Amino acid sequence: MAHHHVTSADIAIEGDHLDSSKVAKVKTLALAIAVLGSLLSIYALFFASEKIQGCYAYSWVFAFYFFLTLSIGGVFWTLLHNVSNSGWGTSVRRTFENLGSTFPWMFLFAIPLFFPHVQQYLYEWMNTQRAAQGDIKEHLHHVDHLLYNKYWFLNLPFWYLRMGFYFFFLGFVIIGLRKLSTDQDKDPNPGTKRLFRARFHSTYSLIIFALTITFTGFDFLKGLDFKWFSTMWGVYLFAGTALNSMAVIIIVCTWLKSMGHLKHVTSGEHFHIMGKLLFAFTTFWAYITFSQFFLIWYAHITEETSYFLIRNTGNWNVAQIALVFGHFVVPFVILLQAWLKKNPKLLSIVAVYTLCMHALDHYLISIPERGVSLGNIKPEVFGDIQVSISGAFWGDILAFVTIGAAFIFFLIRAIGQHSVYANRDPRILESANLSN
Amino acid sequence: MSTTRKRVYGYLAEFSSASTLYKAAEQIRDAGFQKWDCYSPYPIHGLDGAMGLKRSILPWFVFCGGCAGLATAFALAYVTQVEIYPTIVQAKPANIFTVPAFFPIMFELTILFSGFATLFGLLGLIQLPRLNHPLFASKQFHRATDDGFFIAIEARDPKFSPQGTRDLLENIGGKQIELVEEED
Repeated sequence: MAHHHVTSADIAIEGDHLDSSKVAKVKTLALAIAVLGSLLSIYALFFASEKIQGCYAYSWVFAFYFFLTLSIGGVFWTLLHNVSNSGWGTSVRRTFENLGSTFPWMFLFAIPLFFPHVQQYLYEWMNTQRAAQGDIKEHLHHVDHLLYNKYWFLNLPFWYLRMGFYFFFLGFVIIGLRKLSTDQDKDPNPGTKRLFRARFHSTYSLIIFALTITFTGFDFLKGLDFKWFSTMWGVYLFAGTALNSMAVIIIVCTWLKSMGHLKHVTSGEHFHIMGKLLFAFTTFWAYITFSQFFLIWYAHITEETSYFLIRNTGNWNVAQIALVFGHFVVPFVILLQAWLKKNPKLLSIVAVYTLCMHALDHYLISIPERGVSLGNIKPEVFGDIQVSISGAFWGDILAFVTIGAAFIFFLIRAIGQHSVYANRDPRILESANLSN
Repeated sequence: MSTTRKRVYGYLAEFSSASTLYKAAEQIRDAGFQKWDCYSPYPIHGLDGAMGLKRSILPWFVFCGGCAGLATAFALAYVTQVEIYPTIVQAKPANIFTVPAFFPIMFELTILFSGFATLFGLLGLIQLPRLNHPLFASKQFHRATDDGFFIAIEARDPKFSPQGTRDLLENIGGKQIELVEEED
């Protein structure tokens, strides 16, 4: 209670800017890895032997969706902060916005998935429709009645239209909100106008966010097996998204603080709240993930159980059980401690751990499908690919590092563009003196 | 002739506002008193810090309650569904791998037992319910539920002295200082 009361004299008038020379090395290195990795990936996706092309397509979906969840999560926290009229997070809100601003760039990594050449290994329903002569619906009526029934949603023009919707609208939302926030930094007469506008525009934007996280999950991941369905899928992906983007936000804030930024405006109290959100979403993730498993296990419907059957055979079950303990039990017990959540460094260690578990979670979402699907699509080429966990592939690491390096590059770039906290926000003092 | 003996409970002092109460609490804390308390019609943010209160041990009760609930539920479900009367539904196993079916029960009992631990642990720590409190002997104390801010320092505090404590309360802005006595 003895800490200093923060007044406007402690706030940087011209903003708290990242020293670009300090991060130039990391940024250049990340960009170099991203460019090199992208070139290798283009080769692996389009020009390598067919076996590599097929396997790498799955690696790409895994890595792409993993980093997509992190950037979409940044949009989510920005929207939630605005729409709930929050005061506590004003001093860390710029980090939410910076993380969210990596979302439009994710479009670059979605591009390979728009090519039929890559899609043929991933989405069997597209192959069936592309094979049609003449009327597609008539064709489906004869070859696959399930696809015939799902045609209103699973058809190629609508699929590409949805892709446009996700990246255009949600990208527009985050660019607009971030601009509202950063324009305030230089306004000589900062008022509440932008705050109220951001709050208003965040309301309906939350719907755009919800549609994007749910249906990108359907189109990229659930589409890997068009026969499978789960009513929990969207909320399951959302739980991981909110949890792990908060982990990234905690790590970024700790990193900024260790370089001497965010002084006066953030304290252990902010990390305590962010730690509590991390804790809450750890529990939420477990609740949703278990509910999905439980409903499917209980109902015992063939089209639904396939998902867990694949992931419970060939040693994948070891990883699934590891997920139960590693993604839920361990962080749950660790994050119960209040003192730990108030310590930025310790909390960041937990956040890094959480991100590792998120990678395992997403690995188990996309990769076990590889052996099964490829074997169905072209048995003569992919017949000997193992369905078990030993079928893991070096490409998974390459894709992850490539998109990860690009993600880090765009994130650091965004952090360096403006002040690291909203220094002229009307609520900055309220946030700086936070006590909870 | 009344033969009732009376015992001194301590001093009760009124303060004019929440902020004077807050500042007075800081001074009593710094003077090293242990057995004293603040009374206010509404919660005052940060008063626990101003009073120098340590973190409550209640969370540990809740944690233990939760663990006990989890263990009880697992034992209850496992013994009845696997050991005593194995129930086989849709060819699902009746062994340790049935555990997902027990999760809802385990979840519910964890919540229930930690809820009980919270409520009864809290009542135990604040020593409620009780029939009477010595401070009710004061004529002015009922205003603590309306518009009065009070501090009471108990006579059993080692730092308590009839004159010194009275002076302290006066110096930090206490009004209507009253020696409260309880009937033995």
